[in-house]
Amino acid sequence: MKHFVLFIAVVFLTLFLAVLNRTDNAAPSSSLPTVRVFGYASFTGRWGPGPLLKDLFEKTCKCKVEFIEGSDSGILLQRLKIEGESLGADVVVGLDQFDLSKATAEQPWRKLSLGQLDVYDAVRPALANSYFVPYDWGALTFVARRGELVHMPGSLDDLLAPELAKKIALQDPRTSSPGMQFLYWVIRTKGEEEGFRYLQKLMSQIHSFSPTWSTAYGLFTNKQTKLVYSYVTSPLYHETEEKKKDYLALPFTEALPVQFEFVGIPDFCRHCDLAEQFVNLMLSPEGQKIIMEKNYMFPVMKGVMENTPFAPLMNVKTLQQVEILSATEVDRLLRRWTEIRRGELN
Amino acid sequence: MLVSFFESVKYVGHLLPISFLRIFLGYYYLEHALLKYRGDYLTRPRIADQMAEWLPASHAPNWFKIFASSTMIPNWQTVAFIVLGLEFAIAISYIVGYVVRPVALLGVLLCVTMLFISGPASEDLYKTFLAIHLILAWVGAGRCLGFDYYFYKRRRGLWW
Repeated sequence: MKHFVLFIAVVFLTLFLAVLNRTDNAAPSSSLPTVRVFGYASFTGRWGPGPLLKDLFEKTCKCKVEFIEGSDSGILLQRLKIEGESLGADVVVGLDQFDLSKATAEQPWRKLSLGQLDVYDAVRPALANSYFVPYDWGALTFVARRGELVHMPGSLDDLLAPELAKKIALQDPRTSSPGMQFLYWVIRTKGEEEGFRYLQKLMSQIHSFSPTWSTAYGLFTNKQTKLVYSYVTSPLYHETEEKKKDYLALPFTEALPVQFEFVGIPDFCRHCDLAEQFVNLMLSPEGQKIIMEKNYMFPVMKGVMENTPFAPLMNVKTLQQVEILSATEVDRLLRRWTEIRRGELN
Repeated sequence: MLVSFFESVKYVGHLLPISFLRIFLGYYYLEHALLKYRGDYLTRPRIADQMAEWLPASHAPNWFKIFASSTMIPNWQTVAFIVLGLEFAIAISYIVGYVVRPVALLGVLLCVTMLFISGPASEDLYKTFLAIHLILAWVGAGRCLGFDYYFYKRRRGLWW
């Protein structure tokens, strides 16, 4: 017993000293204020718009920008709720319309005073909330590879075709924003009761419900599935970055759901003015261009997308009304979805 | 002590294959612990993210989920430090064969925790490790090609 306790104590003490020594060496020498931006991985990561926005902002703000990374937009809120002020975020990037009620209920936010914004008409309804402002948006649909399916699905009912059994990659609506968008799409299109009956039938068609969009998309690009629920702009990414024209965003007879991504400033922000400047930068023409080109989403501000390959993609039939569901309504829908999923697993 | 280390092969030679498994597992843990130490495991909330991501779908009992959300995620730095410390302890213990039995039980505890907070991709790996730790604890794998033999020879008892 003595040997064991001593051994564990020595290992932990050595590690503690090593970490302490390392932290001291790595301590930043700069006294500049640091704006901490909390966002999902594909925003803050190397390939996302985060690093470019950071460089652009640091040129003028006399401050440093630091990213706090959450793996998916659906997980941001969970961490914000659990960690709260200790997270130290000045700006929260990547909440969608289903998160807003919950975010407002769980956390006090600063009112944003951004003045008159020259946004697209489709975006205008999303400006109703004074605590959050949308910085990009996109329509969601299923993406397939050209020539892989005999019949390309063109409606929700087509997804039940035997050819697609276990070949569809979807996201878990409890943790992923696109997953919630799909659930909402079905409910809005078919009505709640019929929608859940449809989802029950669809369960056998699903390869897996991934916790994040990127995991689901990875299954698709690795050819483990034939369809993935993603953005209408996803094929453009492959065309631009990989010079591959194999991918196709499927047009559906049902109007497609629209996802808005919002940015907000929590009330516990430490550098609130700088945080507001960062939000302004995200809505500036330069910021919007970076977000569009790196996030492969539509910008909210006019005058950025024109004459780019993004412009024609915007002409898809989308759900007209931007509905901000209450937190209890979202929870209720998720509970019903979980029951169906659990029934399927049992 | 060094004589005992090699002498053990003569007297508990039947444990030799298990000792190689023990050393291999120790090396595996050492490699992973060093990777975490040199990387950003202690400075970025990777483990908090992992927990937030997988807990809703985890098979963990409810009390664990509540404990993880209310205590482990907000104190992710402490959790990351403990995980890393345990990995180093398991690595050193298995490689040199010292206090293998109790450390293997810590390994079981670590594997169960990781099983609860990790996704299905690593589930099989942790289940396998769990079985190996249990076997190492059961047979007292430090007695062959390890310093445990020195203490076992003199003191006997369950600890070696």
